[in-house]
Amino acid sequence: MFFHIVLERNMQLHPRHFGRDLRDKLVSKLMKDVEGTCSGRHGFVVAITGIESVGKGLIRDGTGFVTFPVKYLCVVFRPFKGEILEAVVTMVNKMGFFAEAGPVQIFVSNHLIPDDMEFQSGDVPNYTTSDGSVKIQKDSEVRLKIIGTRVDATEIFCIGTIKDDFLGVISDPGSTS
Amino acid sequence: MAEKGGKGFSLPKGSLKGKDDNSAKSKQGRKVQIDFEDVSDPLEPNSPKTNGKVNTPISKGDSGKGGKASKAASGGKNSVTKAPSPEFKIEEELPKNVKCLMDCEAAEILQGIQDRMVVISADPSIKIPIPQLSSFVSSSFDSGLTYAKRGGTFSNPQSVRKILEPLIKYGVSEGEMCMVANLKVESDDEVFALVPSLKSEEGKLRDPLKTALNELAKIQSSV
Repeated sequence: MFFHIVLERNMQLHPRHFGRDLRDKLVSKLMKDVEGTCSGRHGFVVAITGIESVGKGLIRDGTGFVTFPVKYLCVVFRPFKGEILEAVVTMVNKMGFFAEAGPVQIFVSNHLIPDDMEFQSGDVPNYTTSDGSVKIQKDSEVRLKIIGTRVDATEIFCIGTIKDDFLGVISDPGSTS
Repeated sequence: MAEKGGKGFSLPKGSLKGKDDNSAKSKQGRKVQIDFEDVSDPLEPNSPKTNGKVNTPISKGDSGKGGKASKAASGGKNSVTKAPSPEFKIEEELPKNVKCLMDCEAAEILQGIQDRMVVISADPSIKIPIPQLSSFVSSSFDSGLTYAKRGGTFSNPQSVRKILEPLIKYGVSEGEMCMVANLKVESDDEVFALVPSLKSEEGKLRDPLKTALNELAKIQSSV
């Protein structure tokens, strides 16, 4: 899910950047350092939308660098346990399938796929019902529920299920919905 | 827990774990068997009296969790090992100054940023340092924008929020409200199935929810 949040960061700036464009340089560095990063608490920082405040700079002893506390508004994306979301399947194998929802990767184990769906290997590996009416393959859109999350230094990885009511395939690849 | 066996039974301390221990205990005396049948939570204080009235609602609620397997399993077994579906609770984990965004709102914001970047980068008179174009190249931004715009979005996120906000007074949290908008659910039954935490307010929430979903369907069909 997306969130709009105020975060704070201490930005260090080299004295060569001081001048009339100091604030612009600070904002540029902030965007470069923060956008695209991921933290366990806030999730993926998708985009910075504004600067709330830039505090007074403090000169660091011995180096000449100056540290500015910067408060900024940003859009983050963070998955939660219990969240239902729609994802696109990226890979299918006999252990389950991988899907992506925005910047987040989700794995759905075959134990959490309905029992009436069987893995079919081949050129296009997929999970199919016995009557062939429902198929999960690469680029299928599925609605799944997140049942667990794991946070790395730079990414969040989730485990999902499609075994509950109203979960499963939304659309097949190439179909217009 | 030890207190479970405190009524004169010499039960081993680890006896509360696993089905095997329960079956062993049931052989020791009817009291223990009844306690485990009726009291689904073995961490409850030991209740030697078999109070069917107290225990029945617990087992009913337990079987209604969703999943026939759990209903069968809780018949005479320790139900602590059953894994309930995780509830969607974000308020506890996020700081107070956070605003949940619906996908349509996020799409509007991110699209605005991308449009500004396109305009600025197309103007030769404006020189932009490369780091400021980082929004353009960040894969999180691209994937975030694509995800937010998937499947078509509501053209007017403000109207969507206006329609769903009245549900907050019926106990729907902001996160649940955004999730309902994101999933484009079709019926109130679907909402209660996907968001089990709303079931406790089902009585008073059903009608306002139906109204809200009808309004959302009208907005979507007019897009």
